[in-house]
Amino acid sequence: MEIAASLTDVTKTFGVTRAADGLTLSIPRGQTVALLGPNGAGKSTAIGMLLGLLPPDSGTASLFGGAPERAVRQGRVGAMPQEGGIIARVTVRELLTFVSRTYREPLPLDRILALAQLTALADRRVDRLSGGQAQRVRFAMAIAGDPELIVLDEPTAALDVEARRELWASMRGFAERGRTILFSTHYLDEADEQADRVIVINRGRVAADGTSTEIKRLVAATTVRVTVSGEAAWLGRLPGVTGLEINGDRATLRSTDADATVVALARAGAVRDIEVTPADLEDAFVALTTAAAPSGAALLKENA
Amino acid sequence: MSGYIRLELIRSLRDGGYIVFGVIMPVVMYLLFTNLGIAPGDKHDAALFTMVSMAAYGALGSAFNNGSGIAEDRAAGWLRQLRLTPLTPAQVVAGKVVTGVLGVVPSIAAVLLTGVLVNHVTLTAAQWAQIVALLWVGTVPFSLLGLGNGYRLSGQTAAMANLATMLGLSIVGGLWLPTANFPGWLRAIAEWTPSNSYAALSWHAAAGEPPGLRQTAVLVGWLIVFGLYAMYGYRRAGKTA
Repeated sequence: MEIAASLTDVTKTFGVTRAADGLTLSIPRGQTVALLGPNGAGKSTAIGMLLGLLPPDSGTASLFGGAPERAVRQGRVGAMPQEGGIIARVTVRELLTFVSRTYREPLPLDRILALAQLTALADRRVDRLSGGQAQRVRFAMAIAGDPELIVLDEPTAALDVEARRELWASMRGFAERGRTILFSTHYLDEADEQADRVIVINRGRVAADGTSTEIKRLVAATTVRVTVSGEAAWLGRLPGVTGLEINGDRATLRSTDADATVVALARAGAVRDIEVTPADLEDAFVALTTAAAPSGAALLKENA
Repeated sequence: MSGYIRLELIRSLRDGGYIVFGVIMPVVMYLLFTNLGIAPGDKHDAALFTMVSMAAYGALGSAFNNGSGIAEDRAAGWLRQLRLTPLTPAQVVAGKVVTGVLGVVPSIAAVLLTGVLVNHVTLTAAQWAQIVALLWVGTVPFSLLGLGNGYRLSGQTAAMANLATMLGLSIVGGLWLPTANFPGWLRAIAEWTPSNSYAALSWHAAAGEPPGLRQTAVLVGWLIVFGLYAMYGYRRAGKTA
């Protein structure tokens, strides 16, 4: 399968901060991929290098098998950086007409406006739009040239729920054209709902990579709670259990294999007030990007 | 690239700073200077001399304003957005220079038209052609200086630096008041400024004299200096854009 975008063992240091520390990832054509990580994880740096805006200190960034700059010149890429691009004294129509015409085979203007839900705003000045509307203009600039790959850096940061929903609706409209989409986010629900694949980044490295279901499974996502009496350390040795916490007579087990853990508890006759909670991506995320980050990566390698 | 130039020209025409400093102010000052009898000498000569001065002043205003626009664009993330389109960096820079060169046309035209229509300035067709060409081409060094400031400095600072430079060069260069009234030391400085050399080429043309060699040399010298400065600013900005 043709690779749309890749980073190979890339490093980038700003002062004392290692924003990329041996970062390797590869995105095949046609996928919608989320780069998920907390603030300062290195998502924007990874995107900046992929787009040719930042040269890596070492390693290689490439788009469609060549230098990022070349793919950008050929009009194969559209991008929405984290901020900027909204200039004074032009209308939405004027701005998008200009941007689309820098590409060889752009989408027709009407189509761009419709996809970005801007048709009614076409003749408004871009510097007089609301935050959500301006964000859709920035999205429209990314898709105007009908590129094969679009890269969006935290497209929904600072948007309210309604504006976020509208932007994702626009993005799905574009994804239906079979395009490759890479977006970064620190909203876990977005990665879960919008992406085929989630790459978790932390401290400039890939902490985990898989479908959101896989990510959850990787990191002891299910919580099992039981009431215990007396010595309870043996619970930590049950099959599937990777974490144990005791609060009074209540034990909280984190398990990668909830079925096996529950069966073992039953055999031991310890099923008292049992409560099994399948964790959401939020839990997975916290586990991956805090102290558990290295083990997350290790688990991934074992599974691979 | 023509699309980029068109977009930038639309933005200039909607820019109050450009309209006020580049077009309206020079015309108003021209009318004041010539009709309040502040300008020296014979009425027609004064109208002619001051017409060139004020056209030069307006052209400086719009050339520098274009440079300040670059700093504004940088702050707005617009230069980065442009880097993510198929336009090459060279096309973007060239587009901005062309915008600056075209942007001075209304400034020059407004004052020259006022000269003809209100102050009844008369010149031969060849003189008009010479003056228009010299006033127009001569703005390139100032466009480059303005762009250099725009690339090198941040938004507000660049706008202030460009305004101060524009006013400084206009005053010391003798565009507001003729250098003939200056004390000797200031006149000596004026003769080395790009603004005085720039206007002097057209003053000569208006008086039916050939362009001065010295003034041409000074202006070309500044063209080289400001060209290098703009390149330096652009390279530096490229690292942070």
